[in-house]
Amino acid sequence: MPGVTMSFSNMSCSRCGDGFDPHDKIVNSQGELWHPQCFVCSQCFRPFPDGLFYEFEGRKYCEHDFQVLFAPCCGKCGEFVIGRVIKAMSASWHPACFCCAVCNKELADRGFVRNRNRALCHECNAADKAVLSGRHICFKCHGVIDDKPLRFRGEVYHGYHFNCTACGVELNSDARELKHRSGYTANEMNELYCLRCHDKMGIPICGACRRPIEERVVTALGKHWHVEHFVCAKCEKPFLGHRHYERKGLAYCETHYHQLFGNLCFVCNQVIGGDVFTALNKAWCVHHFACSFCDQKMTQKTKFYECDLKPACKKCYEKFPSEFRRRLRKAYDNTPKKSTSA
Amino acid sequence: MSKAKKVIEEALENQNPELDLADKGVVSFEEMPGLIDMHNITRITLSHNKIQKVPPGIANLTQLEMLNLFNNHIEELPVSLSSMPKLRILNVGMNRLDSLPRGFGAFAVLEVLDLTYNNLSETSLPGNFFMLETLRALYLGDNDFETIPPEIGQLKNLQILVLRENDLIDIPKEIGYLPRLRELHIQANRLTVLPPELG
Repeated sequence: MPGVTMSFSNMSCSRCGDGFDPHDKIVNSQGELWHPQCFVCSQCFRPFPDGLFYEFEGRKYCEHDFQVLFAPCCGKCGEFVIGRVIKAMSASWHPACFCCAVCNKELADRGFVRNRNRALCHECNAADKAVLSGRHICFKCHGVIDDKPLRFRGEVYHGYHFNCTACGVELNSDARELKHRSGYTANEMNELYCLRCHDKMGIPICGACRRPIEERVVTALGKHWHVEHFVCAKCEKPFLGHRHYERKGLAYCETHYHQLFGNLCFVCNQVIGGDVFTALNKAWCVHHFACSFCDQKMTQKTKFYECDLKPACKKCYEKFPSEFRRRLRKAYDNTPKKSTSA
Repeated sequence: MSKAKKVIEEALENQNPELDLADKGVVSFEEMPGLIDMHNITRITLSHNKIQKVPPGIANLTQLEMLNLFNNHIEELPVSLSSMPKLRILNVGMNRLDSLPRGFGAFAVLEVLDLTYNNLSETSLPGNFFMLETLRALYLGDNDFETIPPEIGQLKNLQILVLRENDLIDIPKEIGYLPRLRELHIQANRLTVLPPELG
């Protein structure tokens, strides 16, 4: 020590105050002198193991007693905290033990926020607050979404994290998710498009000329058409808003639909316009229904027989040769009965 | 005056285009001299009479659409019959035909042809018989056909084909290709197999 002259006669033990005999061992620690028996733990009065002591309020303690007496217990693991102690939340912590209650990051050098009696890092606290305030948290960057979120594949995001699949422009919350057409049920296949590109794709294509339809659209037969291209499959005249008739995926005007598919009368072979009389797998105009053998007009009340699926009135039937009638009768008895309709 | 003449007179008076002469005991067209001159007539029904001959002059009735001679005694038909431009329905069933005249397939618009209960066979058919492309119903029941010529496939409009009560041993597969066929009657023949094309 500079400027201090140490002479044997005026040395004294820092603890008991006595001087030292010439033969005594002297412990010298940090400029202070002790008898070996005085250089002991203030609690257990035993020498310090390995010479290691802890000092507090002028007293020295061995490691064990110092910990027992003064070291705090960690609020998390329960062990003594030696070295750096984090004092927070009315408790003491190892730096490694003081972590965010949500994301478990060490809070020692990050700072923390007390949130409903938990210690949270700033991010988790913000998230927690945001959830309460109704704002969304971006699934990608975990930041608060201030205005409208971009919804995509079941999660919410900041729009600017993405680019349009078609033109590459940076997206915002207006961007549209295009659900894939039939065949793809999983959400994972969806793509994002900016509003412009998405609307362009919505433009229908005419089934006839394969060009985009800019003005009035006709939707029929599961396709779209220019008004002037939606025509009868037979005469190719546009329907222009008039009724069309569909059959087998094609559209027909009234005339040609009836011409092609209408019930034809067995006698006049025309499309039956008014009431239809159906019998024997055939149809008749009501006023044409007659006996096939004498042309006598019949009504739905007239009793008639059947021969080769043609109607025969009673008079004609009775004029048939008896053996013919017999055979007809036999065939009739053998066939399963079906009802006729008018 | 015969019953027939009375009916004809009435029809002329009323300008009725249809003539109902069924079961009037008519034996010959000669009983009905005015008939051939009725140029507006569209239908003549002479079923259940006793007519043996059809005069060629019948072809003068250019407006005739339906001719019903069912159940008479006709043994042959005039060649001129097939020249009738508007004839759509011809019923000569239950007669005594064993052949059809030359050029019978020449009908312009024949739709229904009833040849039931005659004595016809495949040899009775004239060469051009299957040119009747407008035919939609062909009744050949109760005849003596042993085969049907494959040319039957030419009758593209045929919807009804009756071959009941013949002597057919087989039927041509062309029947299976008729696009409009809805009724096929093949009862009471001698068929043992059917062509798979019918499926």
